[in-house]
Amino acid sequence: MQNLRSLLPILAFTALYAVLSLSVTNSYYQLVMTLVPVWAVFGLSWNLLSGYTGLISFGHAAFFGIGAYTTALGQIYFDLSPWMLIPIAAMLGGIAGFLIGFPTFRLSGHYFALAMLAYPLAILYVFEWLGFQEVTLPIKRDNPIAYMQFADPRLYTLLALAMMLATILLTRLIEKSRFGMALLAIKQNEAAAEAAGINTLAWKLRAITLSGAIAGAIGAFYAVVLLMVTPQSVFGMLVSAQALTVAMFGGVGTVWGPVIGSVILIPLAETLNAEAGSRFPGIQGVIFGLAIISVILVAPEGLFWKLRDFLRKRVTSPAVATPSAPVQPAAAIANPSRPERSRGVGEVVLEVRNLSRSFGGLKAVQNVSFKLRRNEILGIIGPNGAGKTTLFNLLNGFLRPGTGEILLDGRDMSGRKPHELCEAGIGRTFQIMRPFLRMSISDNVVVGAYVRARTDAEARRLATEAIARVGLSDIADRIAGELTTKELRLMELARALAGQPRILLLDETLAGLGHDEANEVVAVIQRLARDGMTIAIIEHTMQAMVRLVDSFLVLDHGAVIVEGEPEAVTRDSRVIEAYLGKKWVAHAPH
Amino acid sequence: MSKITRRTLLAGASVGLMAPRAWAQAPSEVKVGLLVPVSGLYARPGLVMRHGAEMAVDHINTQGGVKSLGGAKLKLVVLDSGDTTEKAKNAAQRMVAQEPDLVAASGAYLSSFTLAVTEVTERANLPVLTLSYSDLITDRGFKYVFQTSATAGSQAKQALPQIVKLAESASGKKPKTVAIVTDNTGASVASAKSMREGLLAENGLQLIVDETFTPPLADATSLVQKVRAARPDLLFFLPTVISDAKLLLEKMNEFGLGQGKIPTISFGIAIAEPDMLQTVSPELLQGVLTCVASWGAKGHETLIAELKSRYKEPWMTQNAISTYGDMWIIKDALEKAGKADRVAVADALRSMDGGPSKYYPLGEIKFDEKGRRVGAGMTIVQWQSGVPVTVFPPQLALAQPFLPKN
Repeated sequence: MQNLRSLLPILAFTALYAVLSLSVTNSYYQLVMTLVPVWAVFGLSWNLLSGYTGLISFGHAAFFGIGAYTTALGQIYFDLSPWMLIPIAAMLGGIAGFLIGFPTFRLSGHYFALAMLAYPLAILYVFEWLGFQEVTLPIKRDNPIAYMQFADPRLYTLLALAMMLATILLTRLIEKSRFGMALLAIKQNEAAAEAAGINTLAWKLRAITLSGAIAGAIGAFYAVVLLMVTPQSVFGMLVSAQALTVAMFGGVGTVWGPVIGSVILIPLAETLNAEAGSRFPGIQGVIFGLAIISVILVAPEGLFWKLRDFLRKRVTSPAVATPSAPVQPAAAIANPSRPERSRGVGEVVLEVRNLSRSFGGLKAVQNVSFKLRRNEILGIIGPNGAGKTTLFNLLNGFLRPGTGEILLDGRDMSGRKPHELCEAGIGRTFQIMRPFLRMSISDNVVVGAYVRARTDAEARRLATEAIARVGLSDIADRIAGELTTKELRLMELARALAGQPRILLLDETLAGLGHDEANEVVAVIQRLARDGMTIAIIEHTMQAMVRLVDSFLVLDHGAVIVEGEPEAVTRDSRVIEAYLGKKWVAHAPH
Repeated sequence: MSKITRRTLLAGASVGLMAPRAWAQAPSEVKVGLLVPVSGLYARPGLVMRHGAEMAVDHINTQGGVKSLGGAKLKLVVLDSGDTTEKAKNAAQRMVAQEPDLVAASGAYLSSFTLAVTEVTERANLPVLTLSYSDLITDRGFKYVFQTSATAGSQAKQALPQIVKLAESASGKKPKTVAIVTDNTGASVASAKSMREGLLAENGLQLIVDETFTPPLADATSLVQKVRAARPDLLFFLPTVISDAKLLLEKMNEFGLGQGKIPTISFGIAIAEPDMLQTVSPELLQGVLTCVASWGAKGHETLIAELKSRYKEPWMTQNAISTYGDMWIIKDALEKAGKADRVAVADALRSMDGGPSKYYPLGEIKFDEKGRRVGAGMTIVQWQSGVPVTVFPPQLALAQPFLPKN
């Protein structure tokens, strides 16, 4: 029901557009009406990869062009109909997506964008070399309908509209499923996504394959509309740019973005070409460019988000006037004390032996060994640059150890990928929080649940449980962007918990929190430990740690200097020296 | 002189100022389309085509308009085909949808634009005259497209024997070896392809260097080095972009191959555009030949003079003269059809027999069943003292061709 309601605007828009297009009889306006959904679909295909994963593709023309040439060449050489060639083009586009994605996903950021730019340009020259500079679709005078050659141009618009609707529905389906969650997680922080148990490469490959298939299909249809194909017109820079322009103008990461962008920009460009172009040749490009620049300046994320934020503000501003009571975790204990637990007796779940890792000459972690027993809270402390986070990165697979072993339940796991270690039961949070700001708490947390859950429903259940465990149930629907630091820390904790780990690695979970807030979080962590969780925590603030942990591991210059119970460790002169310098050792109480 | 001024004024009035109100006097006016690039990368040739069309329309109108329509005046409707195939196609759609009373059109410069445009006009039964070369334009079985230029394949076939003859008469021995340096755009590839696939062999030429590059060139050194190492008797150089022509010619000169040491022959108009002189010195261009479908030639002297004084163009390229001719053909077809109707005009074009061609080289004003002009010839143009002049065919030549003797 909820789903159907959210689809209503889309269906209404499509129906309205269809009615409008049927009322247009001028064949030129008809053509423009057809091109709007065509470029919208192309923008949507780009959005599916780049909008959701954040990996900007400058090379979507590769798939588009392959699709276009499929229709043209398939009709010329094999006398196949576009009705059949469009699905074939989708298949070929998908295959191209996979083949391009596989090597290119080794890169990220600007490097990925630039590498993608190269593919259509390279393919362009291949097609020129093959002698396909100008390919026209033969006119079929006998059986035009079978070859998608309609006398009434309105049919093209309806067909394009159908493809757009299908693409929107598919995108929505993905957006709501674990697929979409995985892509969003990758966009926000690929490392965090890996750590949350998401096999990022696999999901990215699925995304580019699907995106390539959609681009291929719409490229194939575009060739039918354009009636002729040249390498420049389907593989050119401008084609790739078109996808970016409509999506970025309208809004990235939403189905509405490319649609809005296309509905505004395509008719605008055409009108400018028609009206201004014949009077002041060239002015159309200037006006078009200025329009895009000013919109990007005013709404950098696209019109849709600007509009939505504006509306949301107007709707929610009265609500702010009557603030709901701040939600407190159930157990808000002032100064919680360390519960007595027997230590040194539980079975060893994680054992680290002689772990080392260096970066060039810097020995970030040297010869670290320790054991983590079931239900134990181990505090890892040390001054800045001591190698604490590096140690965590080794434990959860971000870094490969130079030497040494990491044994999980006695099995050597060193050098495994983060998502594999997550599956094996190691969850972690990050020193620098990476919440998915536009998503609600539950959506943020559900990302972490997919590693355990088989179905979307199960993932939701796990997420709800995890949120309850950190005490955020009452505000589970709030957007992450509106949360306080403490709530964000708890949300991150919940995300790690949603994957039902056996071992939690917490990286400076108390950083940036006030005294009382820190106590609340400490209480939550203690509750987790009481429920049987094994925890390793990195922290600077000794005071909170002393009350929390069962034992300390003190690192300095990448090596373990002391290991032991909190009381003993805080008095150890080597620890004081490492933290404060030699001259303080004399002042320390002995 | 006063005549020209009046004519200019008239043109200004009819094309510009009165345009919005023109439809009111429809019976005495017939609309003719010109769909060419007037913005973007190809705006310059599009502009020259417009010059040619405007001149023709003025001449036709001052000479009494279309007599069989009671002296109806031609009115030129210019549409911008832009710089991409998609824009050209959209402009064509706009033309047929919003100018329903057009009787014929001319366009669209680049072969790929013309291909896209005619896909639309064919379905709208609007006859289109084109100067584009591609064989494909008239190989699709279309009924409403008329190609006034010799096709690319045919041009190379016509030109090669003449080039060989010219080289032989200049140097005293028959050329045996050739190099081809071509860019990979449609027209160049088509010309080079026909040469490679038999045409060179037919003319007793052996291909010893065959290089294809992608415009724009960053550096022509490696290309010229290959040419120098092989020392061919002739170099066929097929650029589309002026900067590429400049780079290669300068590099040839630097390597001591320039100014005719190795006779350089091009295909197409790029190397003979007025813009060349802005970047390349006339000395470097001296003697360079190019084979084009049409050029201002013998018999066009007054037109050339008018183009020079009215538009400040230094000489008359194919774009101006061919488009000028197109308007006259449309006018003749209108005379024959006796009504301002596109289908009737197309019928008239198909059955037209206008005798020897005046504005296109050789052949007749008559189209075969494919829509190609019967007997369409081509011209060879040579840079001589800073002006590309027609040197072939002899009956149209404004100067004698020469090749520097080695």
